[in-house]
Amino acid sequence: MARVHLRYYALLREQAGRQTETVETAAQTPEALYAELAARHGFRLAQSQLKVAVNASFTDWTCPLADGDEVVFIPPVAGG
Amino acid sequence: MNTFEFTHEPLEPAALSAALADPAAGGFAAFEGRVRNQNDGRDVSRLEYEAFEELAQVEGEHIVAEALRRHGALRGRCVHRLGALAIGEVAVWVGVAAAHRAEAFAACRQIIDEIKHRLPIWKKEHFADGDSGWVNCTHCAEAARVPDFDYSRQLVLPEIGTTGQQRLAQSTVIVIGAGGLGCAVLSGLAGAGIGTIVIVDDDVVDPANLHRQPLYTPDDVGRQKAGAAAARLAAYNPTIRLRPMPVRLTAANAKEIVALGNVVVDCSDNFATKFLVNDAAVLTGRPAVLASVYQYEGQLQVVRADARGSCLRCQWPEATRDGLVGNCAESGVLGPVPAVLGSLQAMEVLKLLLDLPGQMRDEILLVDLLDLGQRRLNAPRARECNDRCARIRSVDAAAPTPELEIALPLAEAAAQGYRIIDIRNPEECAQTPLPLGGHQSIPLPRLLDAASTLDPRLRYLLVCAHGIRSRAAAEQLRAGGRGNFWSLRGGLARQG
Repeated sequence: MARVHLRYYALLREQAGRQTETVETAAQTPEALYAELAARHGFRLAQSQLKVAVNASFTDWTCPLADGDEVVFIPPVAGG
Repeated sequence: MNTFEFTHEPLEPAALSAALADPAAGGFAAFEGRVRNQNDGRDVSRLEYEAFEELAQVEGEHIVAEALRRHGALRGRCVHRLGALAIGEVAVWVGVAAAHRAEAFAACRQIIDEIKHRLPIWKKEHFADGDSGWVNCTHCAEAARVPDFDYSRQLVLPEIGTTGQQRLAQSTVIVIGAGGLGCAVLSGLAGAGIGTIVIVDDDVVDPANLHRQPLYTPDDVGRQKAGAAAARLAAYNPTIRLRPMPVRLTAANAKEIVALGNVVVDCSDNFATKFLVNDAAVLTGRPAVLASVYQYEGQLQVVRADARGSCLRCQWPEATRDGLVGNCAESGVLGPVPAVLGSLQAMEVLKLLLDLPGQMRDEILLVDLLDLGQRRLNAPRARECNDRCARIRSVDAAAPTPELEIALPLAEAAAQGYRIIDIRNPEECAQTPLPLGGHQSIPLPRLLDAASTLDPRLRYLLVCAHGIRSRAAAEQLRAGGRGNFWSLRGGLARQG
């Protein structure tokens, strides 16, 4: 189990009802983590609509997660 | 009846006054400007008037509306003659009806003063001795005067000085979108003394824009944003050139417009335009400063494809379709949020033009104005982009695909062999079930991820409530190479 810190923006913040949270997860990758969180919070954005950054760098969905990582799922926004 | 009009026919004050009759008006004031027989001691025989009619028409109506509102008058109108006039003829007529005489006099006076001052109207005087000459309108005479704008507070910055100021004066910046972000960007750049600012926006001012777009007033509602913003900024800093372009940025004009400037700033509110700006900037080798806002948050990115930096497509290879996530109108926004992000954009433009330290590149800044948190995320250039971007096929890729939508009763579509997929979320489906059986229900997010598991030989018709999400989803899937998806035009709402 890894302990990861999450930060939500825009639609995800609304749907999660919070800006940050720390979770204990068995997910090994951001992909698995998003699936787990989407089920818990009812996220309506598809994974393919999002980007993920781990420890302040964009990364791919299958990189391994480590204890203490900070994970941000970034939804696209277009408002002006 | 227009409140301001030009005419080539003689004016008839009695008829004009009668048309402003109002039972609530206890006072009526009229002014007539007449052709007199001398000017500066010379005998005048006749006059000719000429005007820049399109501009004067709009501005004239503003003048009347402003005066009525300021003085609380009821009705007002101004009519101006054009063409040749003889001595004694009425050249301009103003009438105002108000509850009391004070408001009527005051509004009437304000209208004629502003008309003389602001409208582009020229007068040619023919003198008795046969000589003639054009008299500049006050408006134009003022424009010819070299105004003063004091940059001393930024000139003292050691990184700027007169050299830097000169560089700004020689620069051209293209601003795409004159909304919430645009107002902040434009004010910042105009104040800094950017020599030429091109304002691209085909939208008109809506009352719902005003709370976050302080370049506009309630009088501007219905006016083109590009023109209204240019007029306001020209009054603010008369030393710079403003070029309003009331057109929509499209695949056909994007490269040409972006190439007009040294830097392009994206202040648009939709993905299609953002990706067009990004692509045109990459293809023309111009830096682009992009920002977006959502409720209390914003994102900022500086695209330096001109210097081997990353671009929007390094993170988002496919343009996100509008309709898949919310915009300001749907999700709401608080005025200072675009103002902060727009100011950050203006600052990045100045850093670029002045070669100041700390320029953003290969990163995305996320700003949250509720908890004042910010994150700088590294966003490197995509691996496959060596010398040039490998992910932009052409800006024309944004053009709409033909036959994306079909308009048929659902039962008929099913009879024609389309597999129907209801992409609404489960709550919507439960509330308003699809009026036929035999369909699949795959909520939008799941569909986007699961589309590859659907049979590529079959034709799928996507259905949602109004045809917006289904269209966006079909576009997105087609952009991903899956051509067997269509959208039901108008959605269930149009099935009747």
